Amino acid sequence: MTAPAPLVEIRNLEKRFDLSGNFLEQLRFRNGKLTRHQEYVHAINGVNLQVQKGEALCVVGESGCGKSTVARTVMGLLSPSGGEVHYGGKRIDDMSGKAVLPYRRKMQMIFQNPYASLNPRMTIQQTLEEPIRFHHPDWTKADIKNQVQDVMQSVGIDPDWGVRYAHEFSGGQRQRISIARALAVDPEFIVADEPISALDVSIQAQVLNLMMDAQEARGLTYLFITHDLAVVEHFGTRVAVMYLGTVCELADTATLFDSPRHPYTQALLSAIPRLEDHRPNHIRLHGEVSTPVNLPSGCVFHGRCPYANDRCRQEIPALIATDSGSQVACHAVEEGRL
Amino acid sequence: MALLEVKNLDVRFAVRGGDLKAIRGISFSLDKGERLGLVGESGAGKSVAAFSILNLIARPGYIAGGEILFEGRNLAAMSERELRKIRGDRIAMIFQDPMMTLNPVLTVGTQMVEALKAHRRISTANARKIALERLKQVQIPSPEKRLDQYPHELSGGMRQRVIIAIALLLDPEIIIADEPTTALDVTIQAEIMALLLELCEQHNVALMLITHDLGVVSQVSQRMLVMYAGRVIEQGPTKEIINDAQHPYTQGLINALPQMGEPGRRLFQIPGSMPSLNRIPTGCPFNPRCQFANDHCREVMPEYVRSGNVDVACHEVAALIEKEKQLQEEQP
Repeated sequence: MTAPAPLVEIRNLEKRFDLSGNFLEQLRFRNGKLTRHQEYVHAINGVNLQVQKGEALCVVGESGCGKSTVARTVMGLLSPSGGEVHYGGKRIDDMSGKAVLPYRRKMQMIFQNPYASLNPRMTIQQTLEEPIRFHHPDWTKADIKNQVQDVMQSVGIDPDWGVRYAHEFSGGQRQRISIARALAVDPEFIVADEPISALDVSIQAQVLNLMMDAQEARGLTYLFITHDLAVVEHFGTRVAVMYLGTVCELADTATLFDSPRHPYTQALLSAIPRLEDHRPNHIRLHGEVSTPVNLPSGCVFHGRCPYANDRCRQEIPALIATDSGSQVACHAVEEGRL
Repeated sequence: MALLEVKNLDVRFAVRGGDLKAIRGISFSLDKGERLGLVGESGAGKSVAAFSILNLIARPGYIAGGEILFEGRNLAAMSERELRKIRGDRIAMIFQDPMMTLNPVLTVGTQMVEALKAHRRISTANARKIALERLKQVQIPSPEKRLDQYPHELSGGMRQRVIIAIALLLDPEIIIADEPTTALDVTIQAEIMALLLELCEQHNVALMLITHDLGVVSQVSQRMLVMYAGRVIEQGPTKEIINDAQHPYTQGLINALPQMGEPGRRLFQIPGSMPSLNRIPTGCPFNPRCQFANDHCREVMPEYVRSGNVDVACHEVAALIEKEKQLQEEQP
């Protein structure tokens, strides 16, 4: 089976953040000896993902699972500690700043908090012109102005409001402007990091609709980061569930919601409060999420997993394909215990 | 008689150029052991409503009118001294952010003992015993250890468990929970909600739950209020409202949820956004966003009409009910 070449591919991605500070701060005096002590946050541990052209790949997980770090590393905002990021078949994570420029135009990002991601001292017109001017230095002023007007109209913001500043807009409108800024340079691929989490329910629907319209009209590919599974079910083509820096299940949206295989996915799905429920009836997980500083041995989920055995505590499970078409990293599923 | 009865509550914020009306004449009641959900988007006034019950509104906010009757006594007219006897003792409150609620420089045990000693004549040793008992009830792992830990040593979920334990310390009649799980992850949120529900049933405590999450409300509450721009626009049994919402805003809120839409299709969306307090439209506050709005809606504030067991403030619903009545009269 030969799948079409993915637009974006992440291979064995790793990202560690150093917690230990500078060299002097790393020195500890222990048992009469001077030792060097280093500590890392293991945010991503060997993640493989492929984003096909035209799809919306959703990455879900709870806080601290590394989903935002994946987004930022793909965009080049963070440099990976290990592994590779490919765009359209070319490796881009080790490119020089100049060589990566054409790729930057094709990849844009939408951030979570529209109150923080728009410059408060720039008018909306300036905010939207900046990326165009940067990526198309040869365009005339009239070209830029036309492009800004088009993109403002396409997100439902009156082009006459360009003279206003970000604080004059509501949260939903600001997120529309952030989307407009991403769309201004006609990208192919958009990374959206929790784009609707900071918004009210009725506004969330507006922004989601806008993103789906843009996908249809421009043939966009999304990498959509969220913690909200209900949104994923609606929006995603495929879903990757992350836990403590690893992907524990990867499947088509419908498959994942019909028959979740990984115990963590099952617990996560059962925890969504549904309208038809009369009482909370979720799978109870015991214990807390362990910290990514001291990663547990074996399967990262074994501390909270009701099906964990000795193998789970020692051996790290790999993503394997199941008969339902999903990929699951779980010994219990592999052994047929689950 | 209801345990808590709020009548025509009016809360305003005095700012330059006149008062902002945050709450405009809301009324509701809460019975013993009942669970009431208060739903709305940000700016609807749901938190202000909750805070004003214990008169916790800070200046320039003030209660401009109405009564808050708790066991027949009006909390709105009480002195600060009398109120302090009720706060935390008879009516407890749980806030959204557990890190902001706990004192970072005191151990969990000290804070719990402090709360007990403020309301009861009790020895420190006995107070610690009760505190430990409560920590066990909220299913914190190794509760003895937690008494001597500081809030920053606990995870978000554990902190919220401590807060629930503190809220239950003095066996209150009512717990007011303002978005108790919003700051938490989905799986932790589900656990905390289930725990809160269990404990409220066990101790027969009435719960007033403020949230923006309709899913949580439908799981936990028996009755619900929907607020919009400082008004209650719909209230009644939760199941009836969720299954058959009457007000166009409530319908919109429910239909805008991704779980209600077909995957991949456009979601139902309510156009526009909630008006800010200084620009509340005349007539029905929802009229600029409402698909059914007519001139009457733009001029006259709708009164409550009854549909089934639900009270709705909407001219359109009132007209529909009127029409139905006429039809029934014509066909005896």
